Amino acid sequence: MTRVKICGLMEEQHVKAASQADAIGFVFAPSKRRVSIERAQELSRLANNDMQRIGVFVNASYEEIENAVKAVPLTMVQLHGDEPDELIRRIEVPVIQAFSIRTPDDVEKLNNSIADYILVDAPGTDYRGGSGHVFDWSLLENVDLDHSRLILAGGLNRDNVQAAISQTAPFMVDVSSGVETDGRKDEVKIQQFILQAKGDSMERTQEKTIDPVGFFGRYGGQFVPETLMKAVKELEAAYEDAKNDAEFQKEYHHYLKEYVGREQPLTFAARMTEAWGGPKIYLKREDLNHTGAHKVNNAIGQALLAQRMGKRKIVAETGAGQHGVATATICALFDLDCVVFMGEEDIKRQQLNVFRMKLLGARVESVTKGSGTLKDAVNEALRYWVTNVEDTHYLIGSALGPHPFPTMVRDFQSVIGKETKRQILEKEGRLPDAIVACVGGGSNAIGMFHPFIEDASVRLIGAEAAGDGVDTERHAATLTKGSEGVLHGAMMKILQDDAGQVQEAHSISAGLDYPGIGPEHAHLADNGRVTYEAITDDEALESVIEMSRLEGIIPALESAHAIAQAKKQAQSMTADELLVICVSGRGDKDMATYAEKLEGLS
Amino acid sequence: MKRLAELKQAGHKAFVAYIMAGDGGIEKLGEQIQYLQERGVTAIEVGIPFSDPVADGPTIEAAGNRALDKGITLEKVLDEMQRFDFEVKVPLVIMTYLNPVIRFGAERFTQEAKKAGASGVIIPDLPFEHRQLIEPFAKQQELVLIQLVTLTTIESRLEEILKQAEGFVYAVTVTGITGSRDELAEEVGAFTRKVRELSPVPVYAGFGISKESHVDRLRDDVDGFIVGSAIVQAFHEGRIEDIEPLIDAVTAPHSV
Repeated sequence: MTRVKICGLMEEQHVKAASQADAIGFVFAPSKRRVSIERAQELSRLANNDMQRIGVFVNASYEEIENAVKAVPLTMVQLHGDEPDELIRRIEVPVIQAFSIRTPDDVEKLNNSIADYILVDAPGTDYRGGSGHVFDWSLLENVDLDHSRLILAGGLNRDNVQAAISQTAPFMVDVSSGVETDGRKDEVKIQQFILQAKGDSMERTQEKTIDPVGFFGRYGGQFVPETLMKAVKELEAAYEDAKNDAEFQKEYHHYLKEYVGREQPLTFAARMTEAWGGPKIYLKREDLNHTGAHKVNNAIGQALLAQRMGKRKIVAETGAGQHGVATATICALFDLDCVVFMGEEDIKRQQLNVFRMKLLGARVESVTKGSGTLKDAVNEALRYWVTNVEDTHYLIGSALGPHPFPTMVRDFQSVIGKETKRQILEKEGRLPDAIVACVGGGSNAIGMFHPFIEDASVRLIGAEAAGDGVDTERHAATLTKGSEGVLHGAMMKILQDDAGQVQEAHSISAGLDYPGIGPEHAHLADNGRVTYEAITDDEALESVIEMSRLEGIIPALESAHAIAQAKKQAQSMTADELLVICVSGRGDKDMATYAEKLEGLS
Repeated sequence: MKRLAELKQAGHKAFVAYIMAGDGGIEKLGEQIQYLQERGVTAIEVGIPFSDPVADGPTIEAAGNRALDKGITLEKVLDEMQRFDFEVKVPLVIMTYLNPVIRFGAERFTQEAKKAGASGVIIPDLPFEHRQLIEPFAKQQELVLIQLVTLTTIESRLEEILKQAEGFVYAVTVTGITGSRDELAEEVGAFTRKVRELSPVPVYAGFGISKESHVDRLRDDVDGFIVGSAIVQAFHEGRIEDIEPLIDAVTAPHSV
């Protein structure tokens, strides 16, 4: 993404209008835009901390330049005269050297500059330092030039800047007179120039924030009420620190091994392989984890992190109750206070898990608002967190929510994919051809997929819940039917109406009954690395029976969506191919649903 | 919005009323705005209902759900505002969660809000860091994007946020969601004093302000008050006149 410099600033309101630019310039050389060092200091104070502050000089002495660098202070120096190389070498901050371009011969000179950046401009008129005239950009095409050090100036304005960028691909564009009206900077023109130069605002959000604020393509971010920003930022810093701390990782893996019972087998499913008549089927056995599903991998990681941050109170949401049970379990283990929000509809269909949480000492709060399912439980958990943020950690159960949650949950769940990769290499000596996992918010899937993202030969398939069918009103097929939106702290794909109201999701599986999908999945769907298919309630139930009877493994309803999709996948695969299914959890919790839906089964 | 700075200079306190647009039907919106401006409020926040209002307590959430049940959308509210046949004498600020704006289109939203007579926008789930999603469009329409600061806003961010503040600053006086409360926390006075020292624009206290005792406590530390849940509930129950003493307590000339 091309950076933007607004040059020749003299007034406060113009510095503020340039707040979305990457650099501002102060002219210290003779010019109608000249400012004193004192004035530049005052203006500089109004700019964001991460703004580059660039001083423009023409044949100034080293002392003058250094004085300005220290006093303002400047982060870069731009030279428009005949400054010798030895002066450029002495300047401690990065240097931009300006060149006027008339002919192809002038272009040759650019490559000889020892400066960090080269600024190209049309020849000046009254003063040196740019004229506001456009030079022939095509002079920069087809010459050997390092465009990553190229700064384009000269006659740019909001109407031509996009064309200039696409023709010359510069590191930065520099504008001064092009954002003026009657010789004075114009706030609206400044804003519009930046907008034009940076493309649409969404693209800019990613670009400007991708490093510190966790975006996956256009998805992610930290869209939370201001009261939570401190906690989110603290968590971001604490996780960054813990992630790189060998002791923390050791402790996390200790509990995974000694308490959860990892590593879990990658079981060859001989009878399913035979029955489906296609590829060799392997099952990643997250159902064997203590508490019965993959959720505990994340709960342990976050609970350790919470303690590291000095927080001994935990709030969580739960859909199917597996995350609630995992959280309640870990809170019992570590002696942490635990409150779990759960939709009343889910409480009805997952009574066993409610009882387990209570037995483990957690407080279960019934959420009667909305559809009384996972979305509403997340809302209440967020409200609880807003109110108790100073001493409480929100232990989100899926790869959702504001950054760093989607990244952190993925990392804690990546143990699934890492083990799978090692195991399949041991057993088969090669990577699988396809992997299928179910997606609600998407935590088991992203944990399984992530270690394989770079392995282009491995097809990755997510199975989302189609409920009664994607063409009915009752489904949770966010990637098939959803659109971009902000919910629960992140930009992601959500089910919503034309007015931007989030719709209720429907799935027989409480764990997939959510109208959003985590930001990384939304991104992987957009870029095509993962394909997502929708599985109906009926197809999932059929797969429950099939796997139970073929392999003696009763899967959770969520996992059954992956199994149903895998069966479809297997039809187009051959006997020498390998297909891995992530069995994210076991079916104990769903026994009441199975008993009801499968009544009359013989 | 200039009026708010003038009011501050004149030493008067501002009273900002929040209403849920379409609670009781879209036709109530104009009536409520007229009533409030007649009663002397300084500005009015027009709330847009949202399905998942995580910054709001039960009163405003319930009002939002009533409005949603009547089919109220952002578009309908802006349309209705453009059709007002009375003179709007106070600044109107649209308060909405981010998703309806994204769905509507940020640029189109600012254009329509401007046509609807709005002076500013408040988006509680759009933090300062992501303001560029909206701010450039708002600027084009000369709408101010009101920033919120809270008791938990860390010092360095507080300074950054206030540096850019326009219109007024929304100082959230509780660590929590919207809604009436009996008491405000001890540290609120020190917090609003600090915000007021750093802010180039008037500072209004909001969230949890529902009683004259709250106003008395913070009067010297803020430039005005924002009252939401108490007004929303009073309109809903048809007893808005109960709010009048609170408006008077804020806006009446006060001898020190």
